[in-house]
Amino acid sequence: MKVESKKLQAKDLINVGVFTAIYFVIFFAGMMLGYIPIFIPLLGLVCPILCGIPFMLYLTKVKKFGMVSLTGIILGLLNLIMGSGVLVLIFGIIFGVLGDVILRAGKYQSWKCTLLGNGVFSLWIMGYVSRMFLTRDTFFASLVSSYGQEYVDTLMSYTPGWMYPVLFVVTFIGGILGALLGKAVLKKHFEKAGIA
Amino acid sequence: MIELRNINFRYAGGTDAGGLVNIDLIIPDGQVILLCGQSGCGKTTLTRLVNGLIPNYYEGELSGEVLLDGKNISRLPLYETAKYVGSVFQNPRTQFFTVDSTSELAFGCENQGLPEEEIIQRVKSTAEQFDMDNLLGKNIFSLSGGEKQKIACASVSASNPPIIVLDEPSSNLDMSATKDLRRMIQIWKQQGKTVIIAEHRLYYLKELIDRVVYLKDGKIEKDYSALDALKLSVTQQAEMGLRPFDLGAFPVTAYPVASSDSIKCENFHFAYTKQRDALDIDSLSLPQAGIIAVIGHNGAGKSTLARCLCGLEKHCKGIVKIDEKPYNRKQRLSLCYMVMQDVNHQLFTESTEEEMLISMAEPTPDKADAVLDRLDLLQFKERHPMALSGGQKQRVAIATALVSERKILVLDEPTSGLDLQHMKEVADELVTIQKMGKTSLVITHDYELIVSCCTHILHLEHGMVQEQYALDAAGLQRLQKFFIDSR
Amino acid sequence: MDAAVTTLKFESKAVIPTDPRTKLFLTVTVSTIMITGGTGGFMNFVRPCLMACPIIFLLLSRKWVAAARFAVTYAILFALELTVLPLLTGTWNFILGAAVGIYTHMLPGFIMGYYLVSTTTVSEFVAAMERMHVPEKIVIPVSVVFRFFPTVKEEYAAIRDAMKMRGITTLRSPMKMLEYRVVPLMMSIAKIGEELSAAALTRGLGAPQKRTNICKIGFGPLDIFFFLLAIPCWVGFFIC
Repeated sequence: MKVESKKLQAKDLINVGVFTAIYFVIFFAGMMLGYIPIFIPLLGLVCPILCGIPFMLYLTKVKKFGMVSLTGIILGLLNLIMGSGVLVLIFGIIFGVLGDVILRAGKYQSWKCTLLGNGVFSLWIMGYVSRMFLTRDTFFASLVSSYGQEYVDTLMSYTPGWMYPVLFVVTFIGGILGALLGKAVLKKHFEKAGIA
Repeated sequence: MIELRNINFRYAGGTDAGGLVNIDLIIPDGQVILLCGQSGCGKTTLTRLVNGLIPNYYEGELSGEVLLDGKNISRLPLYETAKYVGSVFQNPRTQFFTVDSTSELAFGCENQGLPEEEIIQRVKSTAEQFDMDNLLGKNIFSLSGGEKQKIACASVSASNPPIIVLDEPSSNLDMSATKDLRRMIQIWKQQGKTVIIAEHRLYYLKELIDRVVYLKDGKIEKDYSALDALKLSVTQQAEMGLRPFDLGAFPVTAYPVASSDSIKCENFHFAYTKQRDALDIDSLSLPQAGIIAVIGHNGAGKSTLARCLCGLEKHCKGIVKIDEKPYNRKQRLSLCYMVMQDVNHQLFTESTEEEMLISMAEPTPDKADAVLDRLDLLQFKERHPMALSGGQKQRVAIATALVSERKILVLDEPTSGLDLQHMKEVADELVTIQKMGKTSLVITHDYELIVSCCTHILHLEHGMVQEQYALDAAGLQRLQKFFIDSR
Repeated sequence: MDAAVTTLKFESKAVIPTDPRTKLFLTVTVSTIMITGGTGGFMNFVRPCLMACPIIFLLLSRKWVAAARFAVTYAILFALELTVLPLLTGTWNFILGAAVGIYTHMLPGFIMGYYLVSTTTVSEFVAAMERMHVPEKIVIPVSVVFRFFPTVKEEYAAIRDAMKMRGITTLRSPMKMLEYRVVPLMMSIAKIGEELSAAALTRGLGAPQKRTNICKIGFGPLDIFFFLLAIPCWVGFFIC
């Protein structure tokens, strides 16, 4: 009857808001586990897995370019307000857009692109830890006076430089697993219930 | 003038429910028109055609034209239609966009880009008109359902469209909120607006409507003038599946059951931090195996009593005694069961059967089947509970309570938004439960439901028991006094 | 038009009249400097000031108990940091160091965030974003996000109640616990979202012309005062 516009309409923007809200809530619940620095590797794994559930349902609702970018930007902004630094916002924008590009390549339908897309989008979480690696010396130097040398030494030994790429991989895998979990829940519940 | 020309519509994704067949309807300006009929008859669909949500939001196959003063609404973008048609929906909780009431009233005008002074002027005069200055500047989340619906009506009014469409607006409202709703429609009528109401509860509309359109299976079956419609007898209305225009004439089929045993509730005190819906009951005795209607005005403490009874409020130290055996709060979590108003919250699994099995201490499929059969649910055993209809979901929730051997069931507004037939089904279920020896408490503002099945009335006001009586002849008079005269 | 007509009563959460942009700026200032800023030199003066900042704001918003609680927590942690921490070694040093560090670094930012959210209405946020020329494509979803946080809270509370009554609160398997919580929550959120969009669209959201916003915000002397206070902090942040 009428051609669905390719651009994000008011209806889509509301959906973006709804699902970003639930994504953030679930992400935050997962993050409670990982706010202690030694759990950071787990954070990269657990959060994207949990967030796969809202993300997969989200993908059935909007399917337009810009949705994931907006989610990334808003997640970044929320984290910025909460004091996680500008880096999270930058990562949110970068990986939001990248995720969108990958999903669009699969016309928001292809399962392969969805897997890859959620994997890549999940990397925005790396904004949390990147400062520890990118500006390693200043970061640890700034910690010494308030956390104490012992703490810094331990943290440094937990997070050697090679951990950085490893964390990326772990988070990416978390994103893939999240998409799989999301898909399973979608099949098990949302499709049967008629809301997907 | 609204013209619907040869409309046929079918929702995308299968079922015929809610579709429309060969609809031709002309609604002149300034008419107040009631659309009625059983659930799934297409009355909601008709309202969606007028406000443009079909085909611009809900998808499906549509043929025919909807013309508003000659303009084809289906081709207008929704933000254009919004200037001519305002809408109020069923659920007060989901139709506000902002969080504070003043912004909400201004929302429609802001979207139209009206000048600031004019919007402020309109918000002020609307609030005055509807006598709701006290509701301005409030957080909408803190308001009651009735107040939220009032905000919804007022915010439509503030953008001042010539046509107003209401889709089952009274479903979640109590008596006094329904009264407020009636007053608002009255004001619109005086202002000469065209008002289209799709509704199940009819009694509050009888002095307002000019015309009644009765739909059946997606067709316009009857088109009455108000005068003719009001002449229909209650029996005729019942045959059509309609709730009565005149509550007092509704047949009473409930009968009181004398109960020798009673459930004693002692020391039920509870207060929320915000002093809302507090509860203050020293002792209360409920008839065992009765169906007890819990009535009272908004804020009387009905839901608080239900929550305390079910053991959901930690700070309520009340004790319930059945046959002298006391149950404390934690024990009551598995003694009582509440069927919530939004039953979606309490169904967790992927099939109805699974839902039954996780409720049992020792999962025994045979027993589960027996209960499902009793509630006419056996054919849905494999289905996802969320894919069932509202009434069926409610029955699943009741079934889980029965299979887990609860003695007391609490139902919170089980018939909000239901048509006559579905309301009767709920009444039948309650009687079934009663025959199994369970006690039910039904929080309700549905007079028709009460006189269809309840045995006792518990009337709360200000957190205290106002009166308590059996629904015999004398009791019926008291009940009618509360429901009908207080209107 | 007289003055009485042009003023409208809004939900007012603010105690001292500051612009939402000021609050936003202060929150970012406190959280960024406390979490990512350096130490030593001038910052040794800035840090305690910023730490005191949230307590002052809590007092200003009449959250007496919360303010007292945070003040006491700070005091204890500081005392620990100064006295006990240097004496400890190994794991204990690590744990205490982490606790002290996290609290003193993160908490101020969180409290500021709490102050920001609890004293600003969504309409003020929207107005602030519009003034900062944030595009509508971001403003609409962000306002929905704020609209939905309380909704998620309400729905989750109802689901938790339902689980209590069903007796499925025990930890049977983590997967099931996740499923029983997240699935019904998502179902009702999706449904509410759908109804909310329908309602918002019938009220003209998404029209191409510029929206009006009747919510009044603007900078006053108080805002300038706070901005001036924040400048040395940022100078310190970039120098140290």
